[in-house]
Amino acid sequence: MKALLAACCLILLTAFSINADVAKPPKPADKPGKVVMRTSLEIAPDAKAYEARLQISESNLKSLQASLAGTVQGNTTIPASIAQSPTRTIIAGLLMFLSISVAGVLLARRVQKAVVAVIVLVAVLGAAAIITRGNAAPPGGYRWRNLPQALADGKSTFGNVDIEIVPDDALQGKSMRLIIPLQKQNRPGE
Amino acid sequence: MQSAVELRNWSTVGRLAMPNAKVFVTSIVLCVVTAAIFASWLPLQVSIVTLFLFAGPHNWFELRYFLMRLPVRFGRSRNFFLTAFAGLGVLTLAYVLLPLLYNASLWTDEAWSIVIASCNTMLLFWLGLLVWLRSKQKRHASWTWTIPLGLVLASLNWLGPDLFSLAIVYVHPLIALWFLDRHLRRMRPAWLSAYRRCLCLLPLVLAGMIWQLSQTSALPEDNGLFWRITQHSGAQLLPQVSSHLLVAVHLFLEMLHYGVWIVALPLIGPTARFWNVKTVPVARHPKGFPRLVAGMLIAALAGVAVLWLGFSVDYSTTRDIYFTVAIAHVLAEAPFLLRML
Repeated sequence: MKALLAACCLILLTAFSINADVAKPPKPADKPGKVVMRTSLEIAPDAKAYEARLQISESNLKSLQASLAGTVQGNTTIPASIAQSPTRTIIAGLLMFLSISVAGVLLARRVQKAVVAVIVLVAVLGAAAIITRGNAAPPGGYRWRNLPQALADGKSTFGNVDIEIVPDDALQGKSMRLIIPLQKQNRPGE
Repeated sequence: MQSAVELRNWSTVGRLAMPNAKVFVTSIVLCVVTAAIFASWLPLQVSIVTLFLFAGPHNWFELRYFLMRLPVRFGRSRNFFLTAFAGLGVLTLAYVLLPLLYNASLWTDEAWSIVIASCNTMLLFWLGLLVWLRSKQKRHASWTWTIPLGLVLASLNWLGPDLFSLAIVYVHPLIALWFLDRHLRRMRPAWLSAYRRCLCLLPLVLAGMIWQLSQTSALPEDNGLFWRITQHSGAQLLPQVSSHLLVAVHLFLEMLHYGVWIVALPLIGPTARFWNVKTVPVARHPKGFPRLVAGMLIAALAGVAVLWLGFSVDYSTTRDIYFTVAIAHVLAEAPFLLRML
């Protein structure tokens, strides 16, 4: 009996020592920031100003507060919740596709052929416009491309901006950071 | 044939004499305006009182109405009713389990939204199946347009399951108005056009409420009951909208719903002598089930008494339980409304 108890103790101790050798869990990756709102921003140089100022409209501030409240409570805005769920988006898209297809077939069976031809033509033109990206907006950072030159000339620049909430340590002691999407442009002769 | 016999009986049995369409229209307009004023003025207080007084009785009247519409033998509608009752059971169980599963915190928010979307999809599929079965019985009606409509609704449901569920909360009270429309068509066809003109008042009143209340401050949520009422109206899902507006609109629609089931349908239809079991065709018929019907109605009456007792002892908990279980009556309306179309 004693031998059995001793064996059990030995096994348990061994287990502890084995656990002690288990590698530490990997350090969790830095928590990514969360985009809570998209709005617009104007960067305007002012020769008469003594301090840099950040001006926010009242309506934007209220929207930001609402967005932040949603973030704190674990809720996101409706478009954000849709965009952040690939599964639901795929199923919704599939069902929408089926709906339009079935509706098209039913329509084709009922309505006169001329009307169907017009609808098909409009649909084809619309699809072609989408496919060729003829109406596509410029890339996000397009409006900021002339910012350095505009600042040098004393002109303002206007473009879209995402307000992103990041962990405190991500800014290395600073309170805010404005990231402008600018690509380094080689000067002639470089 | 069965329904034709029922209708003949309905037209002669126990209908209270009502003067004319003018009185009917005046009553409707007064009820709508009064409900809107009270719902806008004191939404939380009136909500508590309205639910206490009318929630249980309106369920009892609904049960009685559905029993009135039930044929003694299913006949050609056998598949329809089997599908209806099977779906009713499964979906009620699924929706009742949802709050329990949510409290168990088994899933992430994303997985949870997929579960809700799946339940709502099951509901839409069941409705689609019922529509298809019903359309097979109606030779001259073409209901194929409901297929793309159902698919669009399913798609919207997957985009925002919570919002879709909230939409059911707001749309359900309006179904009672549809029942009243069909009922008037059969029992008082002369009043139908006047009633439909009255319905035009509804969007105007709703627009007025939205105009008046959209800028109001949020309702207090300083106790559990007030918080529950605002949440049930969608205050958490629609933070940009004033909770005063949400609760008022929802309460207004609920008051109309209760008014239709407790006042309008019994006064117009054959349920005026609602205490008499023999006015129910399925109980009156020689091959019917009088004892079963009587038992169901007495049990439902006891349920109403228990509900009142529960509200008196612990209003908040009883409210939660009631709205969880009440999904059964929401679902039950679908097959009986389809039978009337």
